[in-house]
Amino acid sequence: MKAYTITRDNLGAWLDALARDYTLIAPVREEETVSLFKPVSGFAEINLGYTNSTVSPKGWLFPQTEEMFFFSTGDGQITLADAQTPGPAVLFGLRPCDIKGILVLDPVFNGAYQDCYYQKRRQNTILVGLSCTRVERHCFCTSMGGGPTDGGGADLLLTEMDGGYGLEALTSRGEELIHRYQDYFIPDRDNRVTAAREELGKKLAGQFTRAVDTTGVKEFLDENFELPYWGELARRCLGCGICTYICPTCHCFDIFDQSPDGESGVRSRCWDSCMFSHFTRMAGGHNPRPTKKERVRNRFLHKLKYHRDRYNLDGCVGCGRCVTRCPVNIDIRQIIADLQEVARHE
Amino acid sequence: MSNCHCRNPLKPYPATIVKIIDETPDVKTFQMVFDDPSVMESFRQKPGQVAQLSVFGVGEATISITSSPTRKGILEFSVKKVGMLTGALHRLEPGSKVGIRGPYGNHFPYEVMKGKDLLFIGGGIGLAPLRALIDFVLAEENRGDYGKVDIIYGARSMDDLCFKYDILDRWPKMPGTTVYTTIDRAEPGWEGHVGFVPAYLEEINPSPENKYAITCGPPIMIKFVLQALEKMGFSDDQVVTTLELKMKCGIGKCGRCNIGSKYVCLDGPVFYLSQLKQLPPEF
Repeated sequence: MKAYTITRDNLGAWLDALARDYTLIAPVREEETVSLFKPVSGFAEINLGYTNSTVSPKGWLFPQTEEMFFFSTGDGQITLADAQTPGPAVLFGLRPCDIKGILVLDPVFNGAYQDCYYQKRRQNTILVGLSCTRVERHCFCTSMGGGPTDGGGADLLLTEMDGGYGLEALTSRGEELIHRYQDYFIPDRDNRVTAAREELGKKLAGQFTRAVDTTGVKEFLDENFELPYWGELARRCLGCGICTYICPTCHCFDIFDQSPDGESGVRSRCWDSCMFSHFTRMAGGHNPRPTKKERVRNRFLHKLKYHRDRYNLDGCVGCGRCVTRCPVNIDIRQIIADLQEVARHE
Repeated sequence: MSNCHCRNPLKPYPATIVKIIDETPDVKTFQMVFDDPSVMESFRQKPGQVAQLSVFGVGEATISITSSPTRKGILEFSVKKVGMLTGALHRLEPGSKVGIRGPYGNHFPYEVMKGKDLLFIGGGIGLAPLRALIDFVLAEENRGDYGKVDIIYGARSMDDLCFKYDILDRWPKMPGTTVYTTIDRAEPGWEGHVGFVPAYLEEINPSPENKYAITCGPPIMIKFVLQALEKMGFSDDQVVTTLELKMKCGIGKCGRCNIGSKYVCLDGPVFYLSQLKQLPPEF
């Protein structure tokens, strides 16, 4: 696949053009510390200096709340009308861990029953990655098989380099997008872009404050469901669920109806969390995961074992958001290390 | 860019309740028909599968299909009033509009069970999914494929027996079929057996030879039934049960009904006891 360079000025002009032709979703800084992905009207609103957005960008493909269809029950008939789904979009500035997060979600929403809502957005959205320029204290993507300049899964990967940016087309769809706006780009004939990205990757690889070794953890969990460790961890967990909301790979949702007049309304879905006690509670009152111990265990087993069992992919991409935001400092890196330790003493 | 052209599996098909049968004080059987005849024709459920029922404005719930696929042109759902959605369903009347999507999940291994005797053990509303298989097996076109059919069924009281017309009248008259009915405590007007299902099962003491046992009921009943079956010499591969877990999407996305890496809505609700023993005990 081909590589190009683009000047800073042209990057701005290109993004302005993209915002005119597509729904452009990009990282934006809100207030002092919150960064998130949302639709923008042009380059001026975009913040390329972020490391990890506060909430993962999965919300474009799998919105926090999403209308599914409208219903009306007039004249003794049920009429169902599809909710609108967005047209062509560019999801711009995805960090490598978040691109990987989308690859982790893909098989969930695919399969024998295709999730039309996700699929339509996914098929209509071009993914533009953005290599990291620094490593945060809680980042551990390299421990989960990723890397700060590894754009695999994106259509295009943008990397900051001397005098501007390099842009690598990773798919034919990415190549087509470049072609459509070719005046902004200069073909990179001497592999400067790839070389610069690889050099940046090497530099950043040395900046991770903590690496974890996941070797054997899944296999240990295969054989050990009951561990006193989960009870210890659950005593600290508040059950607030923030880890699940900011996670790029969590996909649990609830479905609910709203019908103010009792005759017409909308069915929607919204993010839900396996950390909440009602999540698995049945109408009759039985709850297979009645205490935090079972819920904490389920979340970490989902990340480290169940997703791998089902889809052959780790359920964690090492973005570190859950580590950063947990109010009681529950740290999945420490959990992996602790499980290694427990395994050694079993 | 291409679009997803699949039929949206999360969108129900409109249907109408054509008849409601009061089974017990808190269980009703709803007979439903899709408004679009072609949907009715193409809805091919297998015994043991579930569907999502919608009461628009209230929501959805996963309910097992209690009618056999051999019965064409109608679907039956027996629903116990336990929560919001089931409460709303119970307030509906014949002619009311609902939504149905499905069928979901796996099914009873009726192909594997061919040539075998079948022992059904049900408790309360737990007879609902079993009934789909019982009627499938007893249907004229399939009856020759299966051996003797024994049905052990119990409920708390006479009032709580579901499908009385089947268990007391229709099924006992079928060839090669024996129905054993019990209620937990004696009451006036009941001349049948009194006692809990697992104890009755031990009394009857069926031989495990060339037989499958299929059970569904309250968790505590299932627990003791499984113990009793084991004592009688049934192997874990001769025992089949269904699991009930909270489900929302029914198609393995919403992440709610997992037991380990299995989803009850896709990989269940039917499990052999041998499979159950390999799952984490979270059900």
